[in-house]
Amino acid sequence: MLQVAGIDVAYGHAKVLHDVSLDLEEGKMLFVVGRNGAGKTTLLRTIMGLLRPLKGSIYFDGGDITGLPPEQLYHRGIRYVTQDKKVFGSLTVRENIEIAAYSSGEPLSQALDKVLEIYPKMKDFLNLKAGQLSGGQRQILLIGQAMVGNPRLLLVDEPTQGLAAIVINEIARILKHLKGRLSAVVVEQNLPLVSQLADRVVALKEGKVTQVLDDASEICNTSLLEKAL
Amino acid sequence: MGNVVKERGLVLEKTFVAVGKQLTQAGVGQKVLELILIGVVFLILVPFLGAHRATDFAIFCIIVLSFDLLYGYMGRLSFGHLLYVGVGAYTVGLALRYLTTNPLLAIVLGIVAACLAGMAVGAITVRIAGAAFALANLAFNRVGWFLVMSPLKDITGGENGLSIRNLSFWYVNFRNPTFRFWFVLASLLLVFLLLRVFTSSSYGVLLRSIKEDEKRVRFLGYNTQFYKWVTFVLAATVAGFGGALTALNYGYVNPNTLDVHANAGIVFACLLGGSGRLYGALLGGIIYMLITNLLPVYFQRWEFFLGVALLLIVFRFRGGIWGGLEALYSGLAARAKSGSSKEGMSR
Repeated sequence: MLQVAGIDVAYGHAKVLHDVSLDLEEGKMLFVVGRNGAGKTTLLRTIMGLLRPLKGSIYFDGGDITGLPPEQLYHRGIRYVTQDKKVFGSLTVRENIEIAAYSSGEPLSQALDKVLEIYPKMKDFLNLKAGQLSGGQRQILLIGQAMVGNPRLLLVDEPTQGLAAIVINEIARILKHLKGRLSAVVVEQNLPLVSQLADRVVALKEGKVTQVLDDASEICNTSLLEKAL
Repeated sequence: MGNVVKERGLVLEKTFVAVGKQLTQAGVGQKVLELILIGVVFLILVPFLGAHRATDFAIFCIIVLSFDLLYGYMGRLSFGHLLYVGVGAYTVGLALRYLTTNPLLAIVLGIVAACLAGMAVGAITVRIAGAAFALANLAFNRVGWFLVMSPLKDITGGENGLSIRNLSFWYVNFRNPTFRFWFVLASLLLVFLLLRVFTSSSYGVLLRSIKEDEKRVRFLGYNTQFYKWVTFVLAATVAGFGGALTALNYGYVNPNTLDVHANAGIVFACLLGGSGRLYGALLGGIIYMLITNLLPVYFQRWEFFLGVALLLIVFRFRGGIWGGLEALYSGLAARAKSGSSKEGMSR
């Protein structure tokens, strides 16, 4: 479904990704792990068309999507949840969902149902300004917003970063709920979560793929994952 | 190319559906009530100011409303908005001099000309943001002023301006101040209604999202350049309507209608009333006109008060007068709610 083929990415003269390749099958969850500065976010930003690789290509459903702008990728079913947890703070939660529904052409009621399906408590906050939500609630809203329309591939950047343990469990529950329904590339440093959810793990170090774990027994072994970092 | 045309067609269709939905949704009664209230406010102004000046106030409000769409809702500050007012005004003047004797047709031509000018300038300026956007628009405004003053002065009258002779046609008589007042008031209410519907539709939510974080809006599948352009053109078109009415209200057009310095007045009125709120734009327009029309009678250096008011807005009341009233109302409502819940508990 998604194929990243030997991409090199640089910020100015500083090369950040070196010949990175990965494959993702339909309905699977691929986790990208690595230390800070390994190039994980850069990888997602490149897939999302925010950065253009110096070399290599990105394919989605067999078509070359290298460098296509985010708005076009959205209509192909690719959703990007950034790590900054930035919602439209001056809009209500309902309007945050409405804006996604308006883009995808999905009726608002259906869009709301999708969000409430993954997080029923959001019903109490629909008329609240999204800026008033906690970090965890914002993250859930962003994931919910990404579910509106007809998403096929979810790109999620550090969904649990800076969140309390109880909220991390909630995010993990939501990601588990989504597993099998769509494909996802998730950047995550929380290894227990990775071991719970991943179908494949790609370890990045200094912009290079150092290890790919496919085997369930390997993925479940957090100490092995730790070594992969 | 074909895909782009198709995508834009879909965008326009979606906008049309969203606006239509707003028009037909419940709350029509409320909208009518709002229009009546605005009309009453202007009717109250007439005995104090006279019909001509009240008409001037209403036209200024139309121009501030158009600017609020661009600045208050979409977050794009322009120092060149008067260009479209000038285009509307000069088109009416020229049309009534050379093309037609029908002022209504001249208004339509003024609106179309402003729309076309907005389409051309917007195609260039919406690509940039921040100070560059404001200054690029100011530059275009300056170019417009230069064209009127110099290369086109034989037809625009240059510094002397252009007087309009054909102000009446059939039952339409712009020589009559009462007729002008009612016509302009109806125009203001129409513009307000359209913008009210537009800004409370999903499209309005989109504009506010662009204002807050344009990059994230792109992640949600929007070609933001196109939406910004559409909004820019709409704001220019409404401003052109204001300009056309200005020309007919005075029976005269001069380069002051597109004087770049006067843009500050529109920005000020918008901030004073409260940007991003249509009622704020209306209130700001009226108060600004009251300040600039009445204070000079009593104070020689009346601009001092404008400066103080602007400082207060910037440092203390960022939401303007309307924003302040909204905050006051929410505070009172919250206090009443907590008071009633405490009362319930004590029982």
